[in-house]
Amino acid sequence: MLKVENIDVYYDKIHAIKDVSFTVKQGEVVTLIGANGAGKTTILKTISKILEPTRGVVLFEGEPLSKLLPHQLVYLGMAHVPEGRRVFAQMTVKENLEMGAYIRKDKSSMKADYDQIFTYFPRLKERMNQPSGTLSGGEQQMLAIGRALMSKPKLLLLDEPSMGLAPLLVKEIFNIVQTIKKQGTTILLVEQNANQALQVADRAYVLETGKIIKSGNAIELLEDDSVKKAYLGG
Amino acid sequence: MMAITAIIFHLCITGMLIHTIERIGGSCLILFLQQLINGLSVGSIYALIALGYTMVYGIIKLINFAHGEIMMAGAYIAFLLAVNTNLPFVFVLVIAMVLSAVIGVVVEIIAYRPLRKAPRISVLITAIGVSFFLQNLALVLFKADPKIMPELINKSPITIGPLQVGTVTLTTLFLSIIFMIALDLFVKRTKPGKAMRAVSEDKEASILMGINVNRTISMTFAIGSALGALGGVLYAVMYTQVFPTLGVLPGLKAFVAAVFGGIGLIPGAVLGGFVIGMIETFTKAYLSTQWSDAIVFGLLIIVLLVKPTGILGKNQKEKV
Repeated sequence: MLKVENIDVYYDKIHAIKDVSFTVKQGEVVTLIGANGAGKTTILKTISKILEPTRGVVLFEGEPLSKLLPHQLVYLGMAHVPEGRRVFAQMTVKENLEMGAYIRKDKSSMKADYDQIFTYFPRLKERMNQPSGTLSGGEQQMLAIGRALMSKPKLLLLDEPSMGLAPLLVKEIFNIVQTIKKQGTTILLVEQNANQALQVADRAYVLETGKIIKSGNAIELLEDDSVKKAYLGG
Repeated sequence: MMAITAIIFHLCITGMLIHTIERIGGSCLILFLQQLINGLSVGSIYALIALGYTMVYGIIKLINFAHGEIMMAGAYIAFLLAVNTNLPFVFVLVIAMVLSAVIGVVVEIIAYRPLRKAPRISVLITAIGVSFFLQNLALVLFKADPKIMPELINKSPITIGPLQVGTVTLTTLFLSIIFMIALDLFVKRTKPGKAMRAVSEDKEASILMGINVNRTISMTFAIGSALGALGGVLYAVMYTQVFPTLGVLPGLKAFVAAVFGGIGLIPGAVLGGFVIGMIETFTKAYLSTQWSDAIVFGLLIIVLLVKPTGILGKNQKEKV
């Protein structure tokens, strides 16, 4: 479904991503794990065309994305939950969800999707008319995910959904990730919390200073000694 | 010399006080009400223009110094239509607003869009450049001498009890309020309006929603310019003149109004516009015609000293 081929990304002169290639197949949950500054977010932003690679291509369902404008990717079925949630703080929860559904014209079937999101995240329903800036960090993360789901994506890019959340909330968020997977959405998950990420993922790539140093099945990587040592705290 | 000035000043104050005391009664109240309506009417024009400043600032953090010139363009378009055609006022107004919106969008695409990633100061300087360009273009096209704006609105005053209110004043107030309500509904209820607010808050996140950010910015310029043109036409009708620098002073005052209310906030621009219009009208009526501008701008300084974010502005850190 998603194919990243030999991309190089620079921030001015800093070579942030070095010759990275990986694939995400339909129905999979793939995770990119790595330390802070390894380049995980940069890769997601490159896929979303917020950043341009200096070399290499990104293919979505076989089509290169190079000719498209960044905002057109949603129309293809890609949704990106950015790092740090980035909800529209002054807009209400409902309005944020509406923005998630910005590209959709099928008003009648949207109702069901709102309900679906409210069953995932009942707390959002209670706070529907509240400005989203007044939500807690966990609620904002739920909203950011819900907002992305409103576009009915085939591929969901999730950037550090557990960042800055209490352990209980982290668990809740990862449960939702699993539910979303079961609904048939393909997920590319970027995480620092390698333990949690590997538990929900099918496959994983380990990123270190802009390069992929290891890849494989998530279960295998959970047992891998070097991964354990570097990312799983033992 | 100093002493003489002081005495004169003293006499003036005393005179004014006596004058005021004498007028406490019916006629005083009528004058006050009349000035109140005038103030609201002038204020509504400032509010209309201030909306353009504040919307553009909200979305691309640019003080669009060319906004006053868009207003002037609107006034000239209305003038040309009024002189050369027999179109009724409503059509003149609509055409002026639409054409000014086009001018505003063209300016944005040609002058500001290429600088989207440039430092803010570059865009600001460009805006000042565009302002001078449009002013001088008008100077070349229409010459410097003021033209008399034809009577687009029937000038005969309406009498409400003891009050006499000009039709222009009422029309201005009425039209301004209608458009402000329309804008409020647009921004709060419609999808493009909400997208506009989303882009103002976070461009990158808006792109991820599938919002075409450039088109949204153009739309903001179009709406701001149309409202500015409406303000310009009403201003020209009210003061019965059009000239190339028509937009400078009301533009500046509207900018003050926008900052006063809290720049970037739509209700702030409306509030600021009305407050500035009222202060100006009342100082002109009760204090001094010559000092009114000084008082308006002095007030801005005080507001900025006490509350730098404006009346409705919240203290929030600027995101980088």
